[in-house]
Amino acid sequence: MATSSKQYKAIGEDIWKGRTEKINAELFALTYGALVVQLIQDYEDYAEVNKQLEKMGYNIGTRLIEDFLARSNIGRCSDFRDVGEAVAKVGFKSFLNITPTVTHSQLPPTSPTAPSTQAGTSFVLTLDENPLAEFVELPEEALEGGLWFSNVLCGVLRGSLEMIQMQVQVDFLSDVLRGDESTQIQVKLVKYLEEEVPVGDD
Amino acid sequence: APRNTLASTSGVVVAVHSEPPPPLPLQQRERAQPMSELPFDEEAKLVYGVILSLRNMIRKLSGRDEQFVNYRTSTYKLHLYETLSGYKFVMLSDHATDSLRFVLRQIYTGPFLEYVVRNPLAAMDSRERGIDNEYFRASTDRLVRGLSVFP
Repeated sequence: MATSSKQYKAIGEDIWKGRTEKINAELFALTYGALVVQLIQDYEDYAEVNKQLEKMGYNIGTRLIEDFLARSNIGRCSDFRDVGEAVAKVGFKSFLNITPTVTHSQLPPTSPTAPSTQAGTSFVLTLDENPLAEFVELPEEALEGGLWFSNVLCGVLRGSLEMIQMQVQVDFLSDVLRGDESTQIQVKLVKYLEEEVPVGDD
Repeated sequence: APRNTLASTSGVVVAVHSEPPPPLPLQQRERAQPMSELPFDEEAKLVYGVILSLRNMIRKLSGRDEQFVNYRTSTYKLHLYETLSGYKFVMLSDHATDSLRFVLRQIYTGPFLEYVVRNPLAAMDSRERGIDNEYFRASTDRLVRGLSVFP
């Protein structure tokens, strides 16, 4: 039974409203900002900072998915397109109270088989607002150094999707903090994962 | 008694309803004789193996969305709740009990979420050791004891 876009929207809103433990947005933004600043001081290399943010996000994501699954009671998504809808309308909404727009795209079909489950299928999330970057303005050297300020989000998406058997590549395409038109994250499916079977020792 | 850690090399976690086997195993049947003579982690591995085999067989037969829910023998019933993320919650009861899947789901959304998922210092991967900590045990214990099916 495919869940419609509207249903996802409703679920996302319900979960957000039902959350009793919300955090002050400013505190959240300032805490994250302090984290990024500390990383910049520690690593002094913006590419490395990007990597560390992604890694942190990954660890967060592997746990966040449990919260998501426990509360949303959502079943398995029918295809990768469905995943994009769920991520935007339920995931982002229930945790950050924002709903990015989803743009689906896929490789030009090389075969008539189901396009939305092919490796290489992707979707792009366009964030109109970004609670992490509320008060932020990037200095010259961060812009030149290639810092993706909110890169933790890429890690969160990668980590959480990996726990539900999808290996994805997540990258920022653009960021208003860098002077771009919009803030966009691309999520590309690499492959579906098989559950690991333990190596028998008996 | 301290629980043996799981020595499994699996990347998939088995969260077994963890109560110290002596003195009070959480099985609702009379304690005529222990469930098995095996140490806990060996038992857990066997249980995991059974569940995985059954589940794979069922999926081959009926498709990916089919859920293996429980099995029953002449002496006990094994209930399984598996999350989309691959965590498996298992409970054993006497064979007359109705489905306890809702309990397992409650454990997932309650104690597991609170004391394992939200504790950054608790490993979520049972590669090295099983998932086990004080608060998780205590909270699960409270939850199960509060059930009507529990004597």
